[in-house]
Amino acid sequence: MKLVVCVKLVKILGDEVEFKPDGMDVDPDYLEAALNEWDACALEEALLIRERLGAAEVVAVTAGASGSEEALRRCLAMGADRAIRVESTAEDPLSTARELVAAVTPESPDLVLCGVQSSDSVQGSTGTALSELLGLPCVAVVKKLEWAGSGPATAHRELEGGLIDIVEVDTPAVLTIQTGINQPRYATLRAIKVAEQQEIVVIRGPSDGPPAYRIRRMFAPPKGHGAQMLEGGPDEIAKQIAGIIRERLK
Amino acid sequence: MARNPKYDILFEPIKLGPKTMKNRFYQIPHCNGFGSEKPLSQAYFRSLKAEGGYGACCTEYCSISPESDDTHRVSARLWDDDDVKNLSVMCDMLHGYGALAAAELWYGGPHAPCMESRCVPRGPSQIPSDFEHLTYPKQMDKDDIRAVQKMYVDAAIRARKAGFDIVYVYGSHSYLPQQFLTPYYNKRTDEYGGSFENRARFWRETIEMVKDAVGHDTAIAVRMSTDMFMGEPGTQLERDCLPFVQMVDDIVDVWDINVSGISEWGEDATPSRFYPSGRMLPWQEAVKKVSKKPVLGVGRFTNPDLMVDAIKTGKLDIIATCRPSISDPWLPRKIDEGRLDDIRECIGCNICISRWEIGGPPLICTQNATAGEEYRRGWHPEIFSKAKNADNDVLVIGAGPAGMECAMILGKRGMRRVHLVEADKDMGGIMSWIPQLPGLGEWARVVNYRKIQIGKLKNVEFVPNKRLSANDIKTYGAEIVIVATGSYWATDGLNGASHDAIPGADASLAWQLTPEQIMVEGKKVPGKKVVIIDNDGYFMGVSLAEKLAMEGKQVTIMSHQAHIAKYMDFTLESPNQNRKLHKLGVEIVTEHLPTRLEPGKVHAAHVFDEEAHDKVWEADAVVLVTQRRSNEALYRELKDKVGFGALKKEGISAVYRIGDCVAPRLIADVVFDGHRLAREIDSANPEEPLPYKRERRVIDLMGAKAEIDEHRAALAAAGAR
Repeated sequence: MKLVVCVKLVKILGDEVEFKPDGMDVDPDYLEAALNEWDACALEEALLIRERLGAAEVVAVTAGASGSEEALRRCLAMGADRAIRVESTAEDPLSTARELVAAVTPESPDLVLCGVQSSDSVQGSTGTALSELLGLPCVAVVKKLEWAGSGPATAHRELEGGLIDIVEVDTPAVLTIQTGINQPRYATLRAIKVAEQQEIVVIRGPSDGPPAYRIRRMFAPPKGHGAQMLEGGPDEIAKQIAGIIRERLK
Repeated sequence: MARNPKYDILFEPIKLGPKTMKNRFYQIPHCNGFGSEKPLSQAYFRSLKAEGGYGACCTEYCSISPESDDTHRVSARLWDDDDVKNLSVMCDMLHGYGALAAAELWYGGPHAPCMESRCVPRGPSQIPSDFEHLTYPKQMDKDDIRAVQKMYVDAAIRARKAGFDIVYVYGSHSYLPQQFLTPYYNKRTDEYGGSFENRARFWRETIEMVKDAVGHDTAIAVRMSTDMFMGEPGTQLERDCLPFVQMVDDIVDVWDINVSGISEWGEDATPSRFYPSGRMLPWQEAVKKVSKKPVLGVGRFTNPDLMVDAIKTGKLDIIATCRPSISDPWLPRKIDEGRLDDIRECIGCNICISRWEIGGPPLICTQNATAGEEYRRGWHPEIFSKAKNADNDVLVIGAGPAGMECAMILGKRGMRRVHLVEADKDMGGIMSWIPQLPGLGEWARVVNYRKIQIGKLKNVEFVPNKRLSANDIKTYGAEIVIVATGSYWATDGLNGASHDAIPGADASLAWQLTPEQIMVEGKKVPGKKVVIIDNDGYFMGVSLAEKLAMEGKQVTIMSHQAHIAKYMDFTLESPNQNRKLHKLGVEIVTEHLPTRLEPGKVHAAHVFDEEAHDKVWEADAVVLVTQRRSNEALYRELKDKVGFGALKKEGISAVYRIGDCVAPRLIADVVFDGHRLAREIDSANPEEPLPYKRERRVIDLMGAKAEIDEHRAALAAAGAR
């Protein structure tokens, strides 16, 4: 039984933000990287299924440059059995999904788990695009997953307003996993060290097809004019608020 | 990162008489235990703040004569040219960073018992000190007045020679000039006592004389208490302080304004338990309204917004700090660089002050483990060398103050990977619940600061909700293991007074509780009458008494000592804490030791009753604050059951332990413990602290022999048979 988990190494903003000269992205000096929070939950869910069923192979897959292997190393340290990187420069969900197909299809997985979205691009589309390309059913925003190891899986989907949509889906299937489904485990130092030494298979993707979108410009939105900033110590601010209220009540 | 423009005003220079200060950050005179006799410790300590951006740094109170000797407490001294030499090091180092140096010239009068010099202090009237009850001053006649004024002048000249830019004529905290001003101390009927003008005369004349001597190129500062909160007898704002300011404003270059006398100077150095930052602003503002000169003052300022507000609203021209400069000597620099997250905020625990009050030791700081260690251990709070053994992974077990500090510093020293593993869901350990005791909210900054710093360190990972067994540790994959598992309160009443458990004490029973059971486990305190047995003598017993009394319990707190919470005398928290307990109707029982506990009753005897007559207190619940015990079990298992040899086979080269799990102590000391281990993790034997430099006289044997021979010859010549 095989579970494939698609993960992304996301960019994280620090306290200060500076943009590259071409205005297309944040200057890498001001970025940190980490395994996407949603993908960590997806991997954890795969590990929990493996523990519940007693046996399964968990394979972590990513599409990116060599730096993105940091995400795979984290997955291996958490307990993934194998890791595959698709050498890729894809930036948008559709291109990324095309690359991932190259790694996922040969594995013939029973379940493909993705995160609902990435914390840096927040498109929420890669998993769904992937299911389309794989020709597999897709269930999105999964908050709870029950599966006996074969046959259909039951997924609880999180909707707005606290509603839960319970869906039964035939496997193999693609599921996009929502945070809160579990608490991703930490890796011991030993596991991290072993993961450092594990082989990561690198393959090339198809690299064809137009991207879903092209980035034209990235910038910090200008400060709005709707807010009046009050400055000073607590006493000062309280006085100002009182004054504004009196004025507005007139 | 860049400075937020709203803080620009803090970085504007300002003239202080003939001198210019480069910004509005001023380290107010405060003690550190170094004085003139540990000149390098003094210089390193002060100049670190100048390096951190302070525009001016001051000595502690600086004695102008052997008659002003506060031994066992450590003051600076300017008695002779050797003192000048010693203090000149501090001035040079401050100037090197573009900061001004200030000397707080001090004559204590009867508050200085002269236990080293054996001199007799002089004072305006002969009444024993309210601070040092056995010390009587010699009543000053006019010759005495002139003699002491000359001491100020001579000391000011020495200060200028040493390189000081600012000299104080210091009166705050009820020292001599303020004693003359204050009816409580001054009962004179000559022209130096009685009316305001007369009472002000000594101080005014002294300022004039000092100004004449050095004022042409040295700024004259006056530190004054605006109000002693003693009513008519004490200094009062309207009657004494403001008229004095107006009287001498022309000849003073900068005013240093605070409140209180000496016997309750916790009203000035306010503990966070009772007062928020900026407590003295109303008084500082009052002075600013009548003065044309710059006004500075402290208020435990840690928040730059409050600092800016104080200046913009006309309360202060210069922001002075004492304790916030101890907890973070680089406060100004961090504001300048937009690094507010990195500011290590003072928590107002007054542990630093407690060392001066005890008399003798160098200061320490709960937040800043390097305070006092700048010279003797060479520690810089912001600069860390890469560990020589950085190619190692470290497992720190326990994220209390010791574990957090250790992991943080190891991270800053570049250890390859540090895992800080904690059984609870969050960092903090003992400090996750102590700040929930009444008034101690600011103490949570110990945790908040470290949480933020650890979050920024890429090589440090915090792993919550994980209770590691000895076997887990064995296979965790670390090369260095550091156990920081803390302590717990004794459940059987074991205590330092009887050195025994209390018969009948058993916190597993529903009606007996330990502090953690109340604060962490939420164990219910049954009934109405609670007896707290406090053999600890610091904050735990009285804080729980306050908490339970506020919850409606009828509380008795029982101590074997002469008064409760003795250590809080040193932290200046005693008077207000006692007032609180009185207000809450807490019964305070001193000099009693429990003999046994039974349901509903605490049996105790007076400690000086040789027949130990049995006295009974009714109690629905008993809280045991008798002593703490180390959580040693995990370390013992690793050492005694698993064995370090077996751990070595798994790649663990060393196992250390830090903090309360070695021996319970002050939070400041466990933070220090974690810090030290991290600083010395690459020494030959990290478990043993490296020797620190001691500033002491090391005898020149040849010279000593010559001196002894000469002395003997003189005795022989004088007629010894």
